[in-house]
Amino acid sequence: MRSGAVAFCTLSSILLWTGRAHAAGEPDLADLSIEQLAQIKVTSASKQLEPLSEAPAALFVITGQDIENSGVLSLPEALRLAPNLNVQQVDASQYAISARGFNGVQAGNKLLVLIDGRSIYTPLGDSVIWNLHQPLLEDVQQIEVISGPGGTLYGPNAVNGVVNVTLKTAQDTIGTLARATAGAGERSATLRHGFAIGSSGAMRVYADWHDREGLPAGYGGRIDDDFRSWQAGFRSDFGAGSDNITVEGDYFHADADTAPGDGASAYNLLARWSGVLGRSASFQLQSYVDWYKRQFTRVEDSLSTFDNQAQLNISAGPHEMVAGAGVRTTRDRFINNLNQFQLNPTSRRLWVYNLFAQDRFNLSPKLSLIGGVKVERSSFVGWQVLPNVRLAWQPSGRALLWAAVSRAVRTPSRIDRELEALPLLARSTDFTSEKLTAVEGGYRGQPASWLSFSVNLFYNLYSDIRTTELAPGGGLPVQLLNGIKGHTYGIEAWGTAQLAPWWRLSLGGSALHKDLHVKAGRLDLQPRNSLGVDPNWQVTGSSQMDLTPKLKLTLDVRGVDELDLPPEVPGYVEAGGQLAYSWRNNVELFVAGRNLLHRSHRENGDPGASQLAKRSIYLGTRLRF
Amino acid sequence: MKSARASIVAALGAVLLAPSPARAEVSDVAVKAAFLPRFARYVTWPPNGHTSGPMTICVIGDDPFGGLLNQAATGQQVDGRSFMVKRMASGAGAIACNIAFVGGSRAGEILAGLGRQPVLTVTDSRSGAARGIIHFAIVDGRVRFFIDNAQAQARGLAISSRLLALAIGVNQR
Repeated sequence: MRSGAVAFCTLSSILLWTGRAHAAGEPDLADLSIEQLAQIKVTSASKQLEPLSEAPAALFVITGQDIENSGVLSLPEALRLAPNLNVQQVDASQYAISARGFNGVQAGNKLLVLIDGRSIYTPLGDSVIWNLHQPLLEDVQQIEVISGPGGTLYGPNAVNGVVNVTLKTAQDTIGTLARATAGAGERSATLRHGFAIGSSGAMRVYADWHDREGLPAGYGGRIDDDFRSWQAGFRSDFGAGSDNITVEGDYFHADADTAPGDGASAYNLLARWSGVLGRSASFQLQSYVDWYKRQFTRVEDSLSTFDNQAQLNISAGPHEMVAGAGVRTTRDRFINNLNQFQLNPTSRRLWVYNLFAQDRFNLSPKLSLIGGVKVERSSFVGWQVLPNVRLAWQPSGRALLWAAVSRAVRTPSRIDRELEALPLLARSTDFTSEKLTAVEGGYRGQPASWLSFSVNLFYNLYSDIRTTELAPGGGLPVQLLNGIKGHTYGIEAWGTAQLAPWWRLSLGGSALHKDLHVKAGRLDLQPRNSLGVDPNWQVTGSSQMDLTPKLKLTLDVRGVDELDLPPEVPGYVEAGGQLAYSWRNNVELFVAGRNLLHRSHRENGDPGASQLAKRSIYLGTRLRF
Repeated sequence: MKSARASIVAALGAVLLAPSPARAEVSDVAVKAAFLPRFARYVTWPPNGHTSGPMTICVIGDDPFGGLLNQAATGQQVDGRSFMVKRMASGAGAIACNIAFVGGSRAGEILAGLGRQPVLTVTDSRSGAARGIIHFAIVDGRVRFFIDNAQAQARGLAISSRLLALAIGVNQR
């Protein structure tokens, strides 16, 4: 009882003290010369408490600074910072990532991921091949993680969530950056140079190299998952009159140890032109090409994509409208010399056309109604309609309450429709889209200047989820059909407290309940592939401290519930962090680690693919000049 | 036992409550606010500009600074002129400004309305109609800026070479 009272006093004095510290405000800049002012290190506004965005959706923002502080070296590891994503490491370079359930190597097909406007899901299995996408983390401006459907604005596959990675403009990366890290399990090296062009243009070029050693054997025995890759690329931004033009591209190459010649190559090139039309309208045009080829264990997979989009934003009185159109075509090739599972035909061109419009109608300064619809035509399933309606209420500038009803679909992948292995598996030319109707709502607010938090609730109604079923009569060949329906519901919550100017603490968590079943009289032979295997809950916490002006300590911890479909994955608690020392303003030395609490642990139960995640500690340095 | 626990709590409290040795990192907004009065020293206004009375810094449209700009301008002087901060919703009356920070979603509209008045316009936006003579950028964690000297000349402003040298990029034309 007494210690409780003491603890309470301590807690309240922390809160009171931080209040005073905040009141003390910014250090004095008045005596500095203009040249000294240009040398002051700043935290950009995005690192402060998350700005109270008006977007009525379950939105979590990871800033570039958060990523740098956490010491992670890959995009999937950075995504662990989002409490509304479940991240499962599968092997040294592959991950399964999802929001609101359906996670797994095969099942993780309901998340749309964009890197600077470029969609990176592949129509082969409607999934993301994470190891082909290694943006330079120092280039990341921010990552918006939206859990819940984004079909209207983002399109197909934005069923359970959208991950939108935005890179810094070239103007914000002027100068030279070099980074190197070395540790027992992985090594990396990076060089980037940015320079101004004229009064408002700029360009950067970079090269990045990674060496990731294989992980310990999982249920399926040791696979050779060592992965060495390098990537080089550029981004340039130009302002001309009222227009802004971005051109960017990357080339990627990886070697894998599975067999001679195994590995991957990829390139992409994107151009985007945005400008204003009169006083209340703006437009954006974007085109990109994207190509990859992978070769692994006698399987060859390649894909080329050509994507074009146009978007128009108009504000008129209380209305803020956005409308757009897009056309995307892909050509793939999948050759399997390992076993009898083939795509028939082995190569195919697919088309997706879409038109969308959305209006935000500001009924009053506090209340907005948002309605939008996308119509989309794709090669396999023809026309589909993806509507959403949202209501946003801001009782004050510090709080937002929102509710939404949306429909989203996952269009069939090539595997869903055209995978064949006679006499075991027959093609499924009737396979149709998986469908979701989602009802969700939430609160996002900043009850005090030092505290912000969000709570989201959702109820998802699914139909036509994929099943693997026996032929009529109960024999072979099996077929992929749309035999599962049901619902899920859950809660996500996170908050950040700036306990002192030098100490920021974040907590987050999510819980999920799934009630999905095969339609009466039918049987699903591969529930792991259709429904995924999800933890019932997970929690995350992180602490970012500026111990001294030169020394920063960031620690993070996560706890994840067990995955209870055999082979089981026990629940686990893991921690990571980084201690960084900056020397003379442009040299940073750091020691970072991941999965520090155990030598190895299991995150994914895929019997064939999964390896164990293991402890990794590395030293690194970052030079800027 | 009880006293041991009490002393642990006290020690923990002392650690948690000790004033931090760390200097809080400065926010980019504070540094931008500090830049605004500094710019005045390196700019010469034409006779049709605001050349008498206090140097006037205007914030037109959204105000990102709060009290930071008033704090930064207090006590500063250029050629014996002290500083004054004004906030205005539109560009009408901007002729009374030496320096105007223009922000928010209507920045392009406001800048267009200023025409060629001899005002040093400063923006966060670096492109399009919403770009001022000086536009800020965050470069390697520091607040820097570009200068559109052609636009300055069109407004009759002369910018000193010391300021031009500090810019990341200069549009000369």
